[in-house]
Amino acid sequence: MRNLIAYRLAMALPQLAIVSLLVFSLTYLVPGSPAAVILGVRATPQAIADVEARLGLDAPALERLGSWFANAVQGDLGVSYASNLPVVQVIAERMPATLSLILGGIVVAMLLGVSVGILAALRPGTTDRLVSGATSVGLAVPEFWFGLVLSLVFAVKLGWVPVVAYTPFTVDPFAWFQGLILPAISLGIGAGALIARQTRAAMMESLASPYIDTLTAAGVSRRRIVLRYALKNAMVPVLASTGLTLRILIGSSFVVEQIFAFPGVGHLLLTSVIGKDFPVIQGGVLVMALLVIGVNLLLDVSYGLLNPKVRPQ
Amino acid sequence: MKSRTAMKSRNTTRMTLAPVALAVAAALALSACGGSAEQGADAAASGTLAANWGGFPESWAPGAEMEAGYMRVPYENLVGLNTQGEITPVLATAWKQTDAALTLTLREGVVFHDGTPFDAEAVKVNLESIRDGNTPYAGPLKVISSIDVVDATTVKLNLRQPTPSLLTTLSTRAVPIASPKAIADKSVAQHPVGTGPWAYDPASSTAGTRMTFKYFDKYWDGRDSVGFDAVELYAIPDDNAAAGALISGEIDVTDTEVPNLDQLKATAGIKTLSYPAIRNNPMFFDRGPGGVFADVRVRQAACYALDTAALQKLEPDWVPRTQHFAEGESGYNAAIAGYPTDLAKAKQLMSEAGNPKVSAEVVAAPFNQKQLQVYAAQLKEIGIAVKVQVAPPPQYFSTWNSGRFPLGLGGNDELTPFDWYQAWFAADAPGNPAGVESAELKAAADKAIAAGTSPEAEGLWGDVTRIISEEALTCGHVAGEELIAWHSDRVDGVAAPTQPWETNLIDYKALRPKGA
Repeated sequence: MRNLIAYRLAMALPQLAIVSLLVFSLTYLVPGSPAAVILGVRATPQAIADVEARLGLDAPALERLGSWFANAVQGDLGVSYASNLPVVQVIAERMPATLSLILGGIVVAMLLGVSVGILAALRPGTTDRLVSGATSVGLAVPEFWFGLVLSLVFAVKLGWVPVVAYTPFTVDPFAWFQGLILPAISLGIGAGALIARQTRAAMMESLASPYIDTLTAAGVSRRRIVLRYALKNAMVPVLASTGLTLRILIGSSFVVEQIFAFPGVGHLLLTSVIGKDFPVIQGGVLVMALLVIGVNLLLDVSYGLLNPKVRPQ
Repeated sequence: MKSRTAMKSRNTTRMTLAPVALAVAAALALSACGGSAEQGADAAASGTLAANWGGFPESWAPGAEMEAGYMRVPYENLVGLNTQGEITPVLATAWKQTDAALTLTLREGVVFHDGTPFDAEAVKVNLESIRDGNTPYAGPLKVISSIDVVDATTVKLNLRQPTPSLLTTLSTRAVPIASPKAIADKSVAQHPVGTGPWAYDPASSTAGTRMTFKYFDKYWDGRDSVGFDAVELYAIPDDNAAAGALISGEIDVTDTEVPNLDQLKATAGIKTLSYPAIRNNPMFFDRGPGGVFADVRVRQAACYALDTAALQKLEPDWVPRTQHFAEGESGYNAAIAGYPTDLAKAKQLMSEAGNPKVSAEVVAAPFNQKQLQVYAAQLKEIGIAVKVQVAPPPQYFSTWNSGRFPLGLGGNDELTPFDWYQAWFAADAPGNPAGVESAELKAAADKAIAAGTSPEAEGLWGDVTRIISEEALTCGHVAGEELIAWHSDRVDGVAAPTQPWETNLIDYKALRPKGA
């Protein structure tokens, strides 16, 4: 297991470097100067040139890239053009909201997906067809639509939960949970549908295996067979698909943040893209890439725990 | 009779769904305990106003881009501007302007929220930080060559050139006055420290979601000058969510959009108002020698072909106007009739110009794409081919008036004819990439600038705007209406702001809790 973790960590470094290089290149290739955005429409060419020089934007691309890398490895992601605050601080302030949302989305997706997937596998026929139909809808309907409908019904009409959803956990755990319900459901439904399909297929395969008949013949209870044996084996491919699901969740969380006024990294990146706040864009993408790589590492470890055959020798 | 296998299967199913059922039950139980709407409803009654304007400023430092609805809670300006275009006292009580300097007499007994006294030195620090910083409002303050602190309550702004619009600039969101101490330690970017009636209270705020401002006990105008004990500012970016928050009672006031009006109007107690807040108009950038729009007859023909009334049918919050300035504002000229739609006249002008083959590319952002497409269709009627290229907002903002495109459509937020001329029509204006200016326009502008703040300046600026219209440097003026919605059973005194042409704003000091 140590080998697996070390291998994955070693693989993460070039991945991060490539992501950083791509983001840097994209921001460099985008037409228009951040100085022009900062100074507004009445800026003279001279004023734009002055601000570019002050921000170091007149330096050659390679020099800027090298400088950014050198600072990034020391934990310095630069200073936001818009707020003049360190990017690390700006992102750190937004991270709890994004992590809360993604965590909530994963919990909903896993609970919903695994439960419904098992249900469909155990009850072929009408239930299975209903579940298949429902998962198709879940996959087809975008998160923002779910979010708007849930918000309209449960927040606006019924007033059960707030429209302005986010409260930090450290401020009020109850309000944090309450505010997370609708955004997490909106975010988790689509991913849950994907996991449900994966679980259904994996469970059906597991339940059709000869060892299930052996266990049944040995008098092991149906409950124990499903939860202790079939589900454990089925979870291997499910976990693999959860890694993919997570990347979808992170992307979708940016939209859900907008609908529920979550002050997360997605909203920050959106405003930074509009304002050409390159340091925040680069830092934000790097941090999100770190998050994806970190979670994938955890999934790989879980995968290895469930299936010793995938552990590197 | 059901088989034992089926019963077992059902039991297992129940068990697998148990976590979902538990989660739903927990969520419902918690929701039942919640009371967000009730909390919001009680807020206004207890003296807290909850307002939303879509997104907090990235920085609260003076000169940063801030929506007025946020900026005007903690901050005040040196002077104000009323709807008649008159300068009114705020932190400055008197002023004297000459061609060489603007001298301001400051209000005594004013302190910032951090206890720092407001004085001439504070004004100097603020103006210099805006003028010399990387700010979108640095440009208009570049006319100030130096600032003299005459005494604690007198500050003199020395000017590089006669600048009749400077007092107007000082009234806008470009120049809020912040604590020099907070500017020096840079904390002002996240913690606004002004002289306004409400001071930021980080302890009661939720970062990124809600900023709470409580009444400042040392406010110079006294407690009776405002109605609310506290103001909570929200940043709800989605219009539907903002409308939902208003309906559910979480907020009391919000800006809104036309598609949300029906839903809001159907809710008891919610009222709406609109006021003109944004001005936009097409600009003919490529009007230099050999340019696509070099011939004034082609520009005039294009202006006659535009039908802004047709645009209003598609975009009801855009109201057609004949000229940039509204009646009562400096620069307004009753003699300007604009270019009422007249296709025959437009075709005749094109014919007189020799029916040149005119084709132009123009960049649009998603928010003005429809407007430009309408204009392109109208211009096609007289043989002017306009290709609309849609770009994301950052690319749009940094290129639409850069000279890359012969034609452009964008906001003109200048409040005075001096600023408007300097921004778009002077030979060296940033918005005049062709760098051309007619002798007649230059002479008229020079004369108006030389008149300074004298009474005759008004008429002279009217001449300048008339020439701009006659030369068809721009036309197709429309004013965008800002829509505000509020709970009339919780808040009294909501009206269009006195400060003209600012988006997302209400007059906070005029608001009172219902029944107070």
